[in-house]
Amino acid sequence: MNTRGQNILLWTTPVAGVLFLFAYFMFPPFSGPMSPTMTPEQVAAFFRENVASIRGVVIFCNLIGAMLVPLFATITVQMLRVGNSSPVFAYSYIIAVGIGMTAFILADFAWGVAIFRPDRDPQLISLLNDMAWFFFVAPVGTIIVQNLCLAGSIYLDARPDPVFPRWVAHFNVLTAVLMVPGAFALMHKTGPLAWDGSLSFSLRLITFAVYVAVMFCVLLTIVNRQVEHEGVVA
Amino acid sequence: MSGSITADGQYTTQQGTPWYKNKKLDQLICFWSVPFFYSLFGLVFVPLSWMMPPRSPASAMPQIVEFMQSPKLLIACTILTLAVGLSAVGNAVYMCQMKRMSVSPVFRFAFMAGAMTGAIVGCLFPMFCFGLGAFRSGYDPEILAMLYDFGYLSFIGCMGCFFLNWSCLGLSILLDTNNTLPKWLGYYTLWQSVSELVIAPVWIAKSGPFAWDGLMSFWLAMVIYVPWQMIVYICVYRAIKSQPESELDNAHLMPAANYA
Repeated sequence: MNTRGQNILLWTTPVAGVLFLFAYFMFPPFSGPMSPTMTPEQVAAFFRENVASIRGVVIFCNLIGAMLVPLFATITVQMLRVGNSSPVFAYSYIIAVGIGMTAFILADFAWGVAIFRPDRDPQLISLLNDMAWFFFVAPVGTIIVQNLCLAGSIYLDARPDPVFPRWVAHFNVLTAVLMVPGAFALMHKTGPLAWDGSLSFSLRLITFAVYVAVMFCVLLTIVNRQVEHEGVVA
Repeated sequence: MSGSITADGQYTTQQGTPWYKNKKLDQLICFWSVPFFYSLFGLVFVPLSWMMPPRSPASAMPQIVEFMQSPKLLIACTILTLAVGLSAVGNAVYMCQMKRMSVSPVFRFAFMAGAMTGAIVGCLFPMFCFGLGAFRSGYDPEILAMLYDFGYLSFIGCMGCFFLNWSCLGLSILLDTNNTLPKWLGYYTLWQSVSELVIAPVWIAKSGPFAWDGLMSFWLAMVIYVPWQMIVYICVYRAIKSQPESELDNAHLMPAANYA
C-alpha cells in the first residue's frame, strides 16, 4: 500500500481553487450576487444581459464542485484510521458529502437550464434562479454535519499518536458555526441574512474557501506522516 | 447534537465510568442524533409546513395557491436545510451494524448510495418545491400547482431508495452468522421493504385510497412504517450496547485490563 493515490487526488484541490478564483473574478453573478428582491422580469433581463458569463460560471461550478470531492474522500480515508470504536463518523461524513454535492450540482444545473434559453418565460427563469439559490444554500447543512463528525472523530481518537492534530477539531467546529447563518437565506430577502447578504454570502464563501485551503494543508501533512509512521511508500 | 448528548447522559457503562468516557461514545452520539433528527423532521413537516398529513392531489387551485404561499414553509425549509445532514448520521449507524455482520461490504455500500440519493430526492427536494412557492409571491398558479405535485410525488412516491436500503439491511441481517441483529428483524425489515411498494399507485391515482393522501398509499404505509422504524431503532441500540468491547475497532488501542 502507498499514499500515491491520496496525494494525486489531494492535488485536485488547488486546481479547484484556481478555477474558483478564475470564476469569481471573471463572472459578475459571482462577485456581485443577484438580489433576491429582483422581480421575474428583472431576473430574466439579468440573465439575457450576462449570457456568456453565467454560462461560464455554470460550466466552471460543475467542475469545481466535483473537484472538491477528492479532498473530502481523502479526509474520509484518514478518518477511517482514527482510533474510534467504529467507522460511524467516517461513514456519516462521506454520506453527507454525497448529499451536499448533489445539492450543489442541482443548483448549478438549475442555473444552466435557465441560461440555456434566456428568452424563456421570465416566470420560469425566475423559478429556476430561485431553485438554484435554494440548492446553493442547501450544502450548508451537510458541511455542518461533516465538520462536526470530523471534530467528534478527532476528540474521541484513542490513538496515543492521534491521526489529526486536536486544533483541527476546534477549527472544524468553528467553521461549522460560521456556516449556520447561511441557511437563513431561505427566510430573508433583505439584510445580511439574504442570499446576497454579508452573512449568508460573503461570510459563508470566505469561510468555506479558507476551510478548504486549511484542510488541504492539514491533509498533505497527515498523508505524508502516514508515510513515515506506517512505512508506506510515497 | 447537544440534545443527544444530554439524552445519553443518563447511561453509564457497566464499570460505572461516566458517559463521556464510554468507549462506544462515537456510536452513541450518532445513535442519539437520530431522535433529535426525527423530532426536527416531524416539526418541519407537520406543525411548521402542515405538509403532513398530505393534502389532496385533487385540491382546488385557490387552496393550492394558499398553501404554497404560506410563509411558515420557509421556516420549515431553513430548519430542514440545517438538519438534513443528520440523515447521513442515522444511516451511518445502520451501516456500522452491517459492517459487523458476516456479509459482503456490497450491502452496506449499496445502502450508502441509497442514503445519499434518498436524502435529496425524498426529503430536501420536496420541501424545497413547497418553499419555492412561498419564497416569491406572484408566480402563476400553474407553476405553483406543478411544484405542489412535484413536492408531494417526490416525498411520498420516493420508494426506490427505501426499497433498496431496507432490502440491503434485511438481507444482511438474514445472511449474517454473527447474530448482530435478531433474525426475525431481518424478515420484518424485508417485509417493510416490500410494503414500500404499496405507494407505487400515487404516481397514477388523483383521488381515492391509492392517491398520495389515500388510505392505502399513505395511511397504511405509515401504520406499517412507524412501528418498524422504532423497533429497528431499539434493536440497533441493543446491538451497540451488547457489542463486546474487545470487538471494537479501537480495542487494540485500549489497555487490555479494561475489557478483561
